[in-house]
Amino acid sequence: MSDGGRRHRVARAEEVAEPGDRVIVDVGGQEVAVFNVDGDLHALPNFCPHQAAPLCEGDLTGRMVVGEDGWSWEYVQRGEVVTCPWHGWKFDVTTGENVKDEAVAVPHYEVERDGGDVVVLR
Amino acid sequence: MTQHAAGRARTLDSVDAVVDTDAHVTESVDQLLEYMDPADEGLRRIIEDAAHPEHDIYSVAHPTPPFIHTDAFGDVYGDHPTGTVEAKRSEMAEFGLDYSVLNPTLGLALATVNNDRAAVALAKAYNAWILDQFVDDGQGDILTPVLVPPQAPDKAAEIIDDRADEPGVVGVQIPSTGLVPPPGHRWYDPLYEAAEENDLPVMFHSGSGATADIFPVLRKWAETYAEDHAMVHPFTAMWNLTSMLFQAVPERFPDLQFVFQEAGVGWIPYTKWRLDDHYLELSDEVPGLEQLPSKYIDERFHFSTQPLGYTGDHPDHLAKMIELVGPETLMYSSDLPHPDFDPPEELYDRVRGHLDDEAVRGIMGETATDVFDLS
Repeated sequence: MSDGGRRHRVARAEEVAEPGDRVIVDVGGQEVAVFNVDGDLHALPNFCPHQAAPLCEGDLTGRMVVGEDGWSWEYVQRGEVVTCPWHGWKFDVTTGENVKDEAVAVPHYEVERDGGDVVVLR
Repeated sequence: MTQHAAGRARTLDSVDAVVDTDAHVTESVDQLLEYMDPADEGLRRIIEDAAHPEHDIYSVAHPTPPFIHTDAFGDVYGDHPTGTVEAKRSEMAEFGLDYSVLNPTLGLALATVNNDRAAVALAKAYNAWILDQFVDDGQGDILTPVLVPPQAPDKAAEIIDDRADEPGVVGVQIPSTGLVPPPGHRWYDPLYEAAEENDLPVMFHSGSGATADIFPVLRKWAETYAEDHAMVHPFTAMWNLTSMLFQAVPERFPDLQFVFQEAGVGWIPYTKWRLDDHYLELSDEVPGLEQLPSKYIDERFHFSTQPLGYTGDHPDHLAKMIELVGPETLMYSSDLPHPDFDPPEELYDRVRGHLDDEAVRGIMGETATDVFDLS
């Protein structure tokens, strides 16, 4: 959380102005990605806990779930899921959790807009 | 009848009850025909007309004859009649088996019966025969699943409903080699629904008699029974488990328990890793699953232990393998009288001293007592 976290000015707000935008920046020696998901900013480390891939260079996608009818496959969370470019593991950008196993997760950092700057709290 | 048990050294004294979770009978077509429902007279006449019903009704074929050095479908010593409760009790006495959960031999090839009506009639006849000849004597030590025809899941459900409440019925046996479609398909939903409603575990026993035409196709290009038999059991189990998990059978039937039989234990850790890996990598293809496949296996699947394989080179490796599998998912089985059987000591002597006493007692009998509700 923000308490105790350090504030890092990492980008200009216009770099992640639109849903789907992302920037990958250096925060204290660690690569961190800032994503715009439906107007809100989220930051994850650019690191996959599976085999250390650059997770946040993968596609922003959705994910498949079974519909309430028990039959249909529905595609949900469009633009909220980053898919690792190496092995396809999917993480919810808004929480850092793997979409299929919540025990597998990356840190999720809060992000603020401060004036024209993007600030990562980490 | 020869008494072979005299003088055998036993080491199983610390185990209260040994449950053989895959014991076989060796039924003949003639025995089944005697128990066929009178309403199936026309089908019975067709089957009686077959000079070779194992091939013209069933489609059993092997690359070479099964188990050339032993009596594949007889008894251990070939000195008493096969397919009788006396033969079974003789084996139980010799090998120190307190309970036996029976499975068929020819019936393992039920999926190869081309005519669906014949398959249903043969399954019903088997159930009538096994209950009358083996289970209904009130002793309570010989138990059986209901054998169901995978060709006709709706009729299978009727058979389950009809037999589920009979004393000694402890599960539903789906002969599992050569299932088309594979057992994760919604085709089987009526069968699973009936098993779940009747609180019976579904059991999947593979069979080398069912490899003639369909997966795992081994007979056509295998030149020996040895090749066919070595791989049909693990291949069947791996494919069926994959199909059922990725098609989310455990999620669709949340109260159903599953038992896999005759594939041993060594394939299980590899398959868990493999399925978990694909669940995470190809997640959009497994939306029906809510957790790692290995978690469903740990929670809802059990495996009978035979065939353990030859572990004599490094006896401690079997105990290590069982730790990898998860001892609580395993249940001892003999496979008697088939000539690749494991006496209980083959397992017990390898694991005692390595696993704690509770785990050993669980594998040898207590877990099966829970799964099959034997207490």
